[in-house]
Amino acid sequence: MNKKLLILPAIIFSSILLVFFYLLIIDRDPSGIPSALINKKIPKFETKSLLTEETFISSDLFNNEITLVNFFATWCKPCRDEHDNIKKLSNEGGLKIIGINYKDNNEKAIKWLKELGNPYTSVGIDKNGSIAIDWGVYGIPETFVVDSSGIIKYRHVGPITNKIYNKINMIVIAIK
Amino acid sequence: MIKKVFIFVLFFVITQNYYFNSYAVEPEEILTNKKQEILARKISKNIRCMVCQNESIDASSAPLAKDLRILIRNKIQEGKNSEEIYKFLTDRYGDFILLKPPLKIITFPLWFLPFFILIISIIYVFWLNKKSKKT
Repeated sequence: MNKKLLILPAIIFSSILLVFFYLLIIDRDPSGIPSALINKKIPKFETKSLLTEETFISSDLFNNEITLVNFFATWCKPCRDEHDNIKKLSNEGGLKIIGINYKDNNEKAIKWLKELGNPYTSVGIDKNGSIAIDWGVYGIPETFVVDSSGIIKYRHVGPITNKIYNKINMIVIAIK
Repeated sequence: MIKKVFIFVLFFVITQNYYFNSYAVEPEEILTNKKQEILARKISKNIRCMVCQNESIDASSAPLAKDLRILIRNKIQEGKNSEEIYKFLTDRYGDFILLKPPLKIITFPLWFLPFFILIISIIYVFWLNKKSKKT
């Protein structure tokens, strides 16, 4: 067996190993699959509001200011975990956050927000998950950053950890 | 002996194409119109379950998979064709939701690089072989 035959495959294999190792050690963005809606206008939707008698209409809610949209549910543990950071984004960050209650029980959701604190300016009910599908949501909690013209700029899949909290603040500053 | 092993492996590999795969479609989802149901199954098999990302929504028991299966069946009943349904889903979830990556300029490497590398490797082996025979 000609030993020279082994050099090129060995080089290729080592290069592949180096690429994999590099990808493992760098800090990769864990926000999940990039949203297909980035730089597109928010989907139009209309539903019931959780906490008031009014209807919840997308065109009324996004009013020339940077807005966060947070899909959550009471049965979702990571949603519970990130709730403090959501409150922080609203209180300390002064950000307007709209909540979408995904496939949940209305009474439970109202109670949950009462007990844990309500960071949302308003909450819409997505009983069957169709609003979530229109937003390309696949794993709650998911948080979208929408700029003042109603364009989606960023989407994070999973709970807002402290690290992601900082990232969101940076993004908000960047799109001001 | 090697020939027998080869034939066995070839046979095994080919038969993998003909299996009854498990599916997650529940009885109440099944459409009464057979043609529509077959189309729904066909489309579902090409849609990735975004929760269990290696499975199709046809095979996945995740809640989102069920929602999408029902959505696809509703759209078929509305008269939409598969192209419109795929567009509806990729508009919201991106190309990643298709299990078969679409053939675009940007996915050319994904589709053709393996064959390309195979051919290069074969040429390389032949070339080295020829070189060693000359000495």
